[in-house]
Amino acid sequence: MIKVSNLTKEFLQGQERTRVLKGVDLNIKKGEFVAIMGPSGSGKSTLLQLMGGLDVPTAGDIQIDGKYLNKMSEKERTIFRRQKLGFVFQNYQLLPTLTVEENIAFPLHADGKLTKEKNRVIQELIQAVGLEGLHRKRANLLSGGQQQRVAIARALVNSPTVLLADEPTGNLDRANAEEILRLLTVFHRENRQTIVMVTHDIFAAGFADRIILFRDGGIDQVVSREEGDYAKYLANFMA
Amino acid sequence: MLNIWRISWRNITHNKKRFFFTLFAIILGTSFITAMLVADRTTRDVFNYYTDMYVANADYWVLSDKHTYPEKMIEPVQDDPDVTNMLLVLQKQAFFELEDDHSLSQRSVRIIGVSDQNSPLLVLPVIEGSLDNKGVILPKTVATLLGKKVGDTVRFEGLGEAKVSAIVEYTQLLASPSDWDSAESTSFRVLVPLDMLREWTGKHDEISYMRFQVNGDGKDLFHSLQQQFRGSGVFIQPVVADDLQNNDISGLYTFFYIVAGLSMLVSGFIVFNTIYTSVIERKKEFAIMKSFGYTQRSVSKLVLIEIVLLSLIGTAIGVPLGIWLGDLFMQELLSMLQFDIVYTLNWRLPAIMAVTVGVLFPVLFSLFPIYHAGRTSILLTLKMASQSKGSSRPLLIRAVVGLVLLCFVFIDHSVTYAAVLAGVILLFPLLLAGLSRIIKPVLNFLFHYAGSLAAKSLFQQINRNANTAAILGIGISVILLLGAVVESAPEGYEQEIRNTYGGDMRLTSEAPWSTEDITKLRSYDGVLGVEPLMEATPITWETVDGVSRQFSVFAVSEDGPALFADQHEEKLYNRLKQQNAVLLGERAFDEWGGEIGQSIRMNTPNGEQSYEVVGVVKTSHYSGYVAFMDEERLKEEFGWTKGFDLLLTVDNEAASSIRDRVWSDFRDHLSKVQTVEDEIESTTSTISGMNELILMLLFMIIGLASIGTANTLLMNTLERVPEIGTMRALGFTKQQVRNMIIAEGLLVGLSGVIGGIAAGLILIYVTSQSELMDGFMSFKLPYSNMIMAVISGVVLSLCAAWMASQSASKIDIQSSLKEG
Repeated sequence: MIKVSNLTKEFLQGQERTRVLKGVDLNIKKGEFVAIMGPSGSGKSTLLQLMGGLDVPTAGDIQIDGKYLNKMSEKERTIFRRQKLGFVFQNYQLLPTLTVEENIAFPLHADGKLTKEKNRVIQELIQAVGLEGLHRKRANLLSGGQQQRVAIARALVNSPTVLLADEPTGNLDRANAEEILRLLTVFHRENRQTIVMVTHDIFAAGFADRIILFRDGGIDQVVSREEGDYAKYLANFMA
Repeated sequence: MLNIWRISWRNITHNKKRFFFTLFAIILGTSFITAMLVADRTTRDVFNYYTDMYVANADYWVLSDKHTYPEKMIEPVQDDPDVTNMLLVLQKQAFFELEDDHSLSQRSVRIIGVSDQNSPLLVLPVIEGSLDNKGVILPKTVATLLGKKVGDTVRFEGLGEAKVSAIVEYTQLLASPSDWDSAESTSFRVLVPLDMLREWTGKHDEISYMRFQVNGDGKDLFHSLQQQFRGSGVFIQPVVADDLQNNDISGLYTFFYIVAGLSMLVSGFIVFNTIYTSVIERKKEFAIMKSFGYTQRSVSKLVLIEIVLLSLIGTAIGVPLGIWLGDLFMQELLSMLQFDIVYTLNWRLPAIMAVTVGVLFPVLFSLFPIYHAGRTSILLTLKMASQSKGSSRPLLIRAVVGLVLLCFVFIDHSVTYAAVLAGVILLFPLLLAGLSRIIKPVLNFLFHYAGSLAAKSLFQQINRNANTAAILGIGISVILLLGAVVESAPEGYEQEIRNTYGGDMRLTSEAPWSTEDITKLRSYDGVLGVEPLMEATPITWETVDGVSRQFSVFAVSEDGPALFADQHEEKLYNRLKQQNAVLLGERAFDEWGGEIGQSIRMNTPNGEQSYEVVGVVKTSHYSGYVAFMDEERLKEEFGWTKGFDLLLTVDNEAASSIRDRVWSDFRDHLSKVQTVEDEIESTTSTISGMNELILMLLFMIIGLASIGTANTLLMNTLERVPEIGTMRALGFTKQQVRNMIIAEGLLVGLSGVIGGIAAGLILIYVTSQSELMDGFMSFKLPYSNMIMAVISGVVLSLCAAWMASQSASKIDIQSSLKEG
């Protein structure tokens, strides 16, 4: 499903080259919910951005659904993003001039594929994220939790192959964060939605099937729910 | 120690594109202002120069109400010890003897014989040859048209021949046509030695006039000569530098100031927009500065220094550019005025004025943002609490006030123009909102979803976008009004000339017309009427402020030709029959500065007299810089007894043949034949030429306003970086982003154009209906200017939008998401 091979990313800072990702290899299966954790500057967000086609690697390959993102042109990546990927950002990134409904429909509009059927999907998503009655409200007038729910609906509206979430609960209180994570879990379980989530929060990471610990530009440790020590690992981490 | 100028420089250049656009707006604004000031001063100089050249150093002149008078009449002047210089002049109408085939009227030439070509009372700028008092002096235009050089021979039919001794620049004394078409109705003028002309004409003891210079003011001599000459037909007048009868260019100065004002308004608004946005963006920076001890004053001072720095750079580039533009403008203007005039660009004083204005106007337009920066609240800004949610109420109030101001169209007052323009500015958000809804399907069709988004995005900064469109609109509306005035003016002038010319053809002679002449003219086929016309000229008079002027006084009578138009003509003719009563043309009345019922002092052939101004009338004669008196009163009280002009009413089809026959039959004393059509043509051709300038101006103002559009769209883009980054992350292509910004630019440009045209039409309607304009302008759509406004407004707005769209499409997705 997602295959990352020998992924390297360098940034030029002044005269100096900084290597943020150092030959990362990673496989994510279809329908898997993966959390990527690690300290600031460890490269986890850069990995997510590369997987989302927002940037191009310095070296290595990223394959999603058999397609190499790193071999696509800028325009092809943009089209791939709107058709195959869904994004949820820490600060919601809703378009303030648009209503809830219009924000959710944005990727479809951008793709020119807003049909009656898709309109029905939008209404279902509004219901699913619990925003009935707010569909005509301007996005910037909603609370943080509500805005993030709109962002999740927007990320799912084009039935993406992968949902990429960057600190989706970073700006929310615990109750709202739990609600958002519950929503993501529901979509993951019911629709076998592949989710890759970057988080600092071990509580959020606990909702994932697999936790990938990042350190110094590479994978430090991988813990899987299927492995027996998952609960123990989480408890230790939290302690 | 921190160098505040260096910090300011860093601040203003922090955003390179915004810095460029703002600076560009100041440069263009300052250069247009400079160009107009240069044009204003240079035009004034040109006309003053030629008037002064005509006056030279003469203080007084002695003329007569006949063509010539005996030289012995001026003996008292010649014998007076206070008289330092004298110039005797004899004039004779004649015809060039040419090898080419030209009509008599085209060959007619006034030969001016002067007693000394080197006299200090005569200014002749020599191009070639010398003033040797031996040969004929030709103005350059005549030499070029005749193909004559110094040393060539010029022949005058029936008089004699002379070699060309000098070719001189244009002077009023030798004002001549520069092509054969204009030669049809205007005589050439050349200068010869007085003795030579006397020999040719046999008028050895006659002169047409004499000019002289005196020690001191010469008032005693003047008054004594007035007394001596009384009743003789000879009279003395002070020489006055007043050429308003021949040059009605006051409207041109208004035009210069309107353009300068518009340029300042448009570029000032761009500066306001930029500085205000910059202040809003930097609120946090100001709050931090204040938290470390900066006072309100010191924050404001920092912003002020930034603006002063921008103004200084803009002025330093704009003023020299403006001087160059002013030179180009003058070349265009003078070629349009059809004078072969040499000018010296007067740029020093305009440059000083432009530097002052160029530095001050950006500061003036930024006063509110400067104050606003100083007022930054530390707590509110750091908490970001100042980001209040927008309310639609101010927009509603704006629209209501705008509509109220528009109601001024029903009031016939000059304040209506300001009210309509202010009303239109206030209504622009409404227009922008309405237009974005109306053309949403078109935008959807052209730009797909990006078009819909553009319509929504404009609402984020509706005031700024509406103001940007408004400034374009105001520029367009004012220029449309100017264009309509220029287009309509020929019709207005034509109507006025036809109503007050007094006939169809005017014949001017060197000698008074005899009864036999008039009978002969009446017998011509196609001549329907012949009326004598008496014009006393030049008559000097004083304004209310005591300034000396000169004009003509026409004799009028109820049964004579109609030389003026007024609703109460009959009453005015009766008033003129009273003793010492005079009517003034509108322009003369304005220049005089008095009220009806007051007296105007004139130097008449019968001495200095006061006349009661009994009315003001419209007339085409000398653009209204004239007076009218009752015919009998002009003869008796005023002392002007001879008439040298006839007004013919003719059958239009016969006009041409009548002209030829008149020249042939009265060639020995006829000096000028002018038809009403000639007068209309010479008056309106200059105005029609103004249309090209108006179009140039329209393009300039729209171009300047487009800098504002580019700046606004750029600011909108910069403020929406996180939003645009999100769109890109969610799958909006670069092209879609570009389309969105271009659609926004199109909306702003289109609403500016539509609003501008609507406002322009309102202004044109108000002007055409205004009683103040007295029907001078009819309501007519200025199609060519409207089409030009639509095309250039939309195209330049799209160019401006394209520039901003390039920036928008280059926004880095990752960093923009971090900003959000």
